[in-house]
Amino acid sequence: MSDSSASAGHAWPCARYRVVHETHYTYQSPVSLSQQYLHMTPRSFNYQQTESHRILIDPAEEEGRDGTDYFGNRTRHVTITVPHKVLLVRAESTVALTPRHDLERIRATLPWEQLRAMMTRDRSAEILEACRYLYASPHVNCSPALERYARISYTLSRPQLDAAQELCHRIHEDFEFDDKATDISTPLEEVLAGRRGVCQDFAHLMIGCLRSLGLPARYMSGYILTHPPAGQPRMIGADASHAWVSVYCPDLGWVDFDPTNRSLVQCEHVTLGWGRDYSDVAPMRGIVLGGGEQELEVRVTVSPLPITGSTPA
Amino acid sequence: MTIIFDEMYSDAATVRPHYREFAAWLSRQPPQAVEQKRAEAELIFRRVGITFAVYGDNAGKERLIPFDIIPRIIDADEWAGLQKGLVQRVTALNLFLHDIYHEQRILKEGIIPPEQILQNAQYRAAMQGIEVASDIYAHIAGVDIVRAGEGEFYVLEDNLRVPSGVSYMLENRKMMMRLFPDLFERNRIAPVEHYPDLLLDNLRSVAPQGISDPTVVVMTPGMYNSAYFEHAFLAQQMGVALVQGEDMFVADNRVFMRTTNGPERVDVIYRRIDDDYLDPLAFRADSTLGVPGLLEVYRAGRVSLANAIGAGVADDKSIYPFVPDMINFYLSERPILNNVPTYQCRKKEDLAFTLAHLSELVVKEVHGAGGYGMLVGPASSKAEIEAFRQRIVARPEGYIAQPTLALSTCPTFVDSGLAPRHLDLRPFVLSGKTVTMVPGGLTRVALQEGSLVVNSSQGGGTKDTWILEK
Repeated sequence: MSDSSASAGHAWPCARYRVVHETHYTYQSPVSLSQQYLHMTPRSFNYQQTESHRILIDPAEEEGRDGTDYFGNRTRHVTITVPHKVLLVRAESTVALTPRHDLERIRATLPWEQLRAMMTRDRSAEILEACRYLYASPHVNCSPALERYARISYTLSRPQLDAAQELCHRIHEDFEFDDKATDISTPLEEVLAGRRGVCQDFAHLMIGCLRSLGLPARYMSGYILTHPPAGQPRMIGADASHAWVSVYCPDLGWVDFDPTNRSLVQCEHVTLGWGRDYSDVAPMRGIVLGGGEQELEVRVTVSPLPITGSTPA
Repeated sequence: MTIIFDEMYSDAATVRPHYREFAAWLSRQPPQAVEQKRAEAELIFRRVGITFAVYGDNAGKERLIPFDIIPRIIDADEWAGLQKGLVQRVTALNLFLHDIYHEQRILKEGIIPPEQILQNAQYRAAMQGIEVASDIYAHIAGVDIVRAGEGEFYVLEDNLRVPSGVSYMLENRKMMMRLFPDLFERNRIAPVEHYPDLLLDNLRSVAPQGISDPTVVVMTPGMYNSAYFEHAFLAQQMGVALVQGEDMFVADNRVFMRTTNGPERVDVIYRRIDDDYLDPLAFRADSTLGVPGLLEVYRAGRVSLANAIGAGVADDKSIYPFVPDMINFYLSERPILNNVPTYQCRKKEDLAFTLAHLSELVVKEVHGAGGYGMLVGPASSKAEIEAFRQRIVARPEGYIAQPTLALSTCPTFVDSGLAPRHLDLRPFVLSGKTVTMVPGGLTRVALQEGSLVVNSSQGGGTKDTWILEK
């Protein structure tokens, strides 16, 4: 199931990872039929090649179909007909990442107002594609409050990505990571007022800020490498699915920022896919018959692999 | 004071030529006989069980749609013009839908602003790049037309999601033939009874590729839906199964229905259920009305849905003002049917105009349907207008406004006797390999004196519609 459709990177990989993503459901009573729609296959694109990938399901699926969604992400539909009280979905992937833009180029991007004007006037295929990510979506609304928060960084004629970077840093400083404060249905206003949440909230918040200004932004779903506690601080969001933001700039294309970790995305983020918000790329979405109460446990392990000897396919 | 066009009379004493035969017949009927026929009609409708659920007041109650025995008559030439206009309009709407879900030329050319489409609640991103049979999205369109004068027709709405009412068109005709068989001998009235055959042919013509003898079903959300009667009626008339989501399942990248003989493959689903409820895996996860996995089979071109998912983006009231531009853009033709001039409150100058002229305008919610959530300025009190003003100011982009048209009237039986009442016409246009329709459509009539709201959900009635053949 390796993917060779994406354009191969010209640069040598800056990192290679093996990712194991296990989702474990325990049901109170047997499930007789389970249908699941998975976004668990890393997408190949200019900064990432998926070298190998497989999804193992226990009990085994009766039927599975691979597909591609509207945003170009890889999907898999599975139907499990064996009655079960425990469901394990294990996605194993190997990816190679190639280097992205550095900070120097970010400082030289166009004034953000120019991009905003392009979004309303330019009708090229590239801008129209970016328009998909310009408007409110199920989890991201636009509001004057979000715009006000964004305006502190988006000052007059500031380079688009320079402002985005500061916005990313401010979200990191102003908001506290708290996995008890919110859930996926918490509205953005509440996150903005309460100043706490998880990576999804921070990603949605930054996207809402940008869209409220009239700028496009994508929701990125994937994983992040976490570092052992010794020496440096452990990165937040470890051992779970991660979410960050991609910001558009005509000179450089899409550039990723991680407001949860105050970082420009380089070689530690593995991308599964992207959409307008979480609802487009939820890793697992399903319908079960029976089951009653359910418990969910998710385990993610990202392990670095040696780079030597591997050129992107 | 505007002069109101009456369908039957050109002035108080003169009957229009195409109504003469009918008017002469009517004048010969003794009043008691007419009264008796009206009572008979009501009794039969009650017995047949044609009812309509009304939302809001009296929620959950089923009600008879009042039927009026005075037909709405249109002569052959006028109908020919209308029909040409309908074919043109629906053809352009289907081309528009195909374009929006593929190359988006109309956005690239700057004819429609992208935000009108991409952030439209009816736009379905999941449809982007999907091939549908014969490139048709709106297989069944119920286009609402009103007349404001001699030869002056306006389209009020293009209903492209799950337009209803065709069962009333058919039942009204059956009723008239039963009550007044002699009328059908005296007038050459174009038949409409073959609509279910045309509909079935149309649905079969858009089956997935390679299927020679397609199985068609009607999918209903169930008996609590206001149009459930019609779903059952059409399934029975076409001789196909009436199913709910739970009766179908996806296996082997196909859709099947459970039957007493085991699973049977389903090829074409005439679905009378909104997009959001079709597939809980793809859309609303809390929908218990849909079929999990249906969208994937549909995207693979292995089942057809009528109408297509995402067709609603073309009948949205915010897109309506662009339909004449679509006709021009895709067909290089001038629109045959008029659009009502529309003020889009999302635009500053249109909003200012609307707020300054609320007492003269009709204001509609962009995503509303069925006559709910609208203001008819001339018929509203000051307090109602002020309350509506607050709603518009709070969310201007949610509203459009149109001048109040002087809708034509037709004599109609009301409590005080025969009196003119305003009406509209909803022809049902079928698109598949070709565009077809039966002559006429459903005529709806506002029963309150002076009222312009004909929707059944707002207490409107219906009439039989005659297209007089030459």
